[in-house]
Amino acid sequence: MAGKSKGKQETFIRELLFILAVTIAGFALQFVIGTLDFAIFAWPVNIVLAATLLALAFVKPDSFVGKFGSGRVSVILLVSITIMSVYMGLVPGNDVKHSWPFAFTYLMIMANLALTIGRRLRNFKLKRDYSFMLNHFGLFLLLVAAGPGSADMQRYFMRVAEGQTEWRGEGEGSQTPKELPLAITLNDFSMEEYSPRIALIDKTTGDTQPLGKPSLIECEEGSEGLISEWSVVVDTFDYRPRMAPRAYITATNKAGNSVVSGWVSCGNHFQPFSVLDISGNLCFAMTFPEPKKFTSDVVVYTKKGVEKKGVVEVNSPLTAGSWKVYQYSYDTRAGRDSEISVFELVYDPWIIPVYAGIILVMLGSLTLFWRGGKKE
Amino acid sequence: MSWSEFIYFAAGSLILWYSGTLALYKSKKAMWGNLLIAGGILLFAAFIGLLWGSMDHPPLRTMGETRLWYSLFIVLVGYATYLRWKYKWLMAYSVVVSTVFVLVNLLKPEIHTTNLMPALQSIWFVPHVTVYILSYAMMGAATIAALIALWREEGKEGELFALIDNLIFIGFGFLIAGMLMGAIWAKEAWGDYWTWDPKEVWAFITAASYLVYLHASYANISKRKALIIIPLAFIMLMITWLGVEYLAVAQESIHSY
Repeated sequence: MAGKSKGKQETFIRELLFILAVTIAGFALQFVIGTLDFAIFAWPVNIVLAATLLALAFVKPDSFVGKFGSGRVSVILLVSITIMSVYMGLVPGNDVKHSWPFAFTYLMIMANLALTIGRRLRNFKLKRDYSFMLNHFGLFLLLVAAGPGSADMQRYFMRVAEGQTEWRGEGEGSQTPKELPLAITLNDFSMEEYSPRIALIDKTTGDTQPLGKPSLIECEEGSEGLISEWSVVVDTFDYRPRMAPRAYITATNKAGNSVVSGWVSCGNHFQPFSVLDISGNLCFAMTFPEPKKFTSDVVVYTKKGVEKKGVVEVNSPLTAGSWKVYQYSYDTRAGRDSEISVFELVYDPWIIPVYAGIILVMLGSLTLFWRGGKKE
Repeated sequence: MSWSEFIYFAAGSLILWYSGTLALYKSKKAMWGNLLIAGGILLFAAFIGLLWGSMDHPPLRTMGETRLWYSLFIVLVGYATYLRWKYKWLMAYSVVVSTVFVLVNLLKPEIHTTNLMPALQSIWFVPHVTVYILSYAMMGAATIAALIALWREEGKEGELFALIDNLIFIGFGFLIAGMLMGAIWAKEAWGDYWTWDPKEVWAFITAASYLVYLHASYANISKRKALIIIPLAFIMLMITWLGVEYLAVAQESIHSY
């Protein structure tokens, strides 16, 4: 018994040392060549890598390589990737996700998963292993497609003015426009807003009153409410195209019986704001209207001759061929009067395996509710 | 219905929950306790329902609103676990934790923003957040159970191991479901399912920590020693939920509303 546990301890240390060595090699590479250029995984490298990893499932579990699929190894790898992620989550401006040690650990996790899936497959019993397979194969698929697979992803930003057609876009962080395989005509950009609100503000600090529990009144004609000891009525609300919203309000102080009234406006890119002073420090002001919904009516053309008319809005992208068009932004200075729309264009050929992995793990998580802590 | 009425509903629910839990301990018939606790749950749920109705969107956006759901779910989970395993202490604990969150909501509401920005207007919004909060509630219960098991002498943990494993497995299922729904939503809203945004990084750390616990037995870590991982993982969970916005990295986050 003692000998067996000593043997186990030795394997554990061997595995630990191996993982440590690979991680240190990662640090060495990081030191010598710097940040990992993710583009090296682009097609066909990623598919070859995926096939190689999958082939690991056929390695004999007792062989030298096969032992790397053990549960001990997975625990070491999980601890290791957790530590790296804590660094990623604490230190601002780090680039751990594009570092060699992180990539190597990610690679070892995929290898560990492939090997352990292979071991289970050799002695597969549906009733015992279905939960294991959904979770582990699903995760494997997800890691491969979202990791090396994502090197094939392309994303660009495109600004289009109303009535114009654009086919050039800029990559992330790049300022040089590039000709893209698709073009967009913007027929119309439109925007709905939430009503702006009336707030009582301390001019010296900018704090909204009452402190800590600010209360705000919707700017609509006739709306009323209580802010601190002031009862406020919105007498008129006026918001014409291209003009800043403005409201005529009357505020009555409950204690002092004093009444103030006047125009307030949040202003816009060419009109100044105006506030209603009530004392040396306090004034009523209007908040900027927040966007509720912004929509672009577009036609998308691809080089292959696909022509697609549709509406793009946040949370509802438009698919054209293998590209997806997302509503990204607009001229925020002009707000609802914006005459341009900014789109994000994404080409993501691995999205199907990503979704397949997500669905498998999702089903796997359902099996966890069903089985609870029952051991296999 | 608005937040100003919250105090009455909250006070009513807490009184029902405390007296119900007390009845579980004192009364021979479990019926009284069950009735009181269920009444408290209904009252609290009624407030959420009415608030939802008056806001036109689910109250799941601000921190105060998520705490509101947590206050309810922690009691629901505690009660369901009590029904299954007959642990009265777990019921009592969940009522105490719920009280803490109710008090936080009364004293530091953080409830003033009610306009829903476009990225949040999605069918994934409600399931993503509720499933996460349900998971947090189960993990919270598991953490307390783990601390109690650790506090007891070795070998006297009783059925706690089974309870903890149940809570962690089920809670982990919810955790992963919440994360994956978030990924699908992110793809629809931002064009990418995973960007290592600070909130995502911490969600990943949380999930990985619980995975260490779930796999610990394969690394010859004894059940008792593995219990230490649970409170550690729960700290990660708390950072994910409440702490991220206070970290220096939060400025890079697209998850701050």
